[in-house]
Amino acid sequence: MNIVVTVKQVPDTWAEKKLDPTTRTTDRKSVDNVMNEMDEYGVEEALKIKEAHGGEVTVVTMGPEKALETVRKALSMGADKAVHITDEALAGSDALQTSAALAKVIATLSPDIVITAAEASDARGGVLGALLAEHLGFPQLTQARKVTVDPGAGTVRIERQADNGYLLVEAATPVVVGVVEKINQPRYPSFKGIMAAKKKPLTTLSVADAGLDPGTVGLANAASTVLDAQPAPPRQSGTIVKDEGDGGTRVADFLAAQKLI
Amino acid sequence: MNFAFSEEQEELRRTVRDFLEDLSPESEVRRLMETTEGYDSGVWTKLAGELGLTGLAIPEEHGGAGYGFVEVGIVLEEAGRALLCAPYFSTVVLAATTLVASGDDAAQKDFLPGIASGDIRATLAFTEESGRWDADGITLPATRSGNEWRLSGSKTYVLDGHTADLVLVAARTTAGVSLFAVPGDAPGLTRTALPTMDLTRKQARLDFDNTPARLIGADGDGATVLPRVLDTAAIGLAAEQVGGAQKVLEMAVEYAKIRVQFGRPIGSFQAIKHKCADMLLDVESAKSAAYYGLWAAAESNDELPVVASVAKSYCSDAFFHCAAENIQVHGGIGFTWEHPAHLYFKRAKTSQLLLGDPAYHREQLAQRIGI
Repeated sequence: MNIVVTVKQVPDTWAEKKLDPTTRTTDRKSVDNVMNEMDEYGVEEALKIKEAHGGEVTVVTMGPEKALETVRKALSMGADKAVHITDEALAGSDALQTSAALAKVIATLSPDIVITAAEASDARGGVLGALLAEHLGFPQLTQARKVTVDPGAGTVRIERQADNGYLLVEAATPVVVGVVEKINQPRYPSFKGIMAAKKKPLTTLSVADAGLDPGTVGLANAASTVLDAQPAPPRQSGTIVKDEGDGGTRVADFLAAQKLI
Repeated sequence: MNFAFSEEQEELRRTVRDFLEDLSPESEVRRLMETTEGYDSGVWTKLAGELGLTGLAIPEEHGGAGYGFVEVGIVLEEAGRALLCAPYFSTVVLAATTLVASGDDAAQKDFLPGIASGDIRATLAFTEESGRWDADGITLPATRSGNEWRLSGSKTYVLDGHTADLVLVAARTTAGVSLFAVPGDAPGLTRTALPTMDLTRKQARLDFDNTPARLIGADGDGATVLPRVLDTAAIGLAAEQVGGAQKVLEMAVEYAKIRVQFGRPIGSFQAIKHKCADMLLDVESAKSAAYYGLWAAAESNDELPVVASVAKSYCSDAFFHCAAENIQVHGGIGFTWEHPAHLYFKRAKTSQLLLGDPAYHREQLAQRIGI
């Protein structure tokens, strides 16, 4: 099984996220950056499939030089090799451009399974998997909470998370699989894994190396533009009921008005 | 010489911190400290198996990862920060160090792979009623009949002694202090959990009644092996103390920023600033002492005895001072059961005494540098 898993470095999930006031892209300099939490589930699932059926796990990311930290994390968890697409010219690329770049590189790896997370915690677009599938011409299985691979038949079957249960969905490889958090418990890397990650093959590709047209990448050529952004308004203070003997009744009235009782 | 941690060592620290924040939060510490065994076997399995933390410094030929004591020190620092309730210090720092230092190949083959995989939780039974941490404190007799050794007598204040699968015992033979291995369920061994002030680290009393034991190394070897083990352990404990001290400093600073009194955050008052500044000074100096010690222990060089006593005496006082000052900065809430300040205070107090108190180590230091 040749498994490719996409990862993204994002601002720390719990940090206050800011947009750069001029470019209106994510400000990555003012916060700690970590691997998108949901990507850890993707890496874990890729490793599990490899452990069960053999093969190789390749991590693919696109991002600034710092994103290498995230690649290393995936390698220390046990992935075999990595491809890092990085170029100043890529800065500000939107989901369409990112998916086109990733797809171009992933196609050269001839994967059987491409694993993506359901979404990244910064942009929360949740579209990368579908865009990749379209570019690659692969079927896409989404919202997987369980993945079963049958290498003999060349099929992947998933339990697709639904509101009141799950759907069993199957597709022939090569396939793009989107995973949700319920799927597994990502492993913590051992120090051995951390040390080994340093020695694993890492390919760094520029726009030219990846064979991308410079006239299609980056903020200037993005199909979508962020026109304006406002911080969420602060929460309004709640209603204070002063108890003058009728406190209980008034709380009940309030709850009734909100249709809670 | 470069004392900065490598990128990989920093990654290890981040991983262990994440792991402990997920699996050993305060609620877990409080749950486990109320139990007799004092640890969670699921967390232990993960810590040993998935992260490989028990085998970090165990040689590869014995199933470990073959790294050194600096890496173990990083784990200990994080364990101290999180007040991890697990037999990590007893198994890895006391028992594994003893086995490696003993040079007993057969014993290493028999026990180290199990310690590395987490299947064997082990400890070292050194102290007796006297509470002494030097060779003269060891009186428990071991007697030989033919090829068989037997132990009779008592050890106490044994870390995790009531749950350990393997107990290494320092006992006295006609040749002097020697080391023995006894399985936790050996015949004639009675194990009693002791009430401890620090509920997050368990201790036990072990009573041996004609208990069969296996000699580790040669008869009389204990006199040379154990001082090295205790010095290494003192440095490990110093690293753990640094982690705790750093944590209480962060708690104090955090609280000083948000607690408002007389219309301003209390951190703006000079008396509080001075307390926090003194804590920072303690923490930074303690780090220097502990990290130098970790390096000396990893290198196993001649400086080890001197720096062990420097690190243990300095870091013990630093952690205790910081833990006490943290309570003062917090004021009333710092005195409550629900606030974690007392957990660190109690850990600081017992760690101060464990392996010899600061006065003992300053005396050791004076002797070791010949003044």
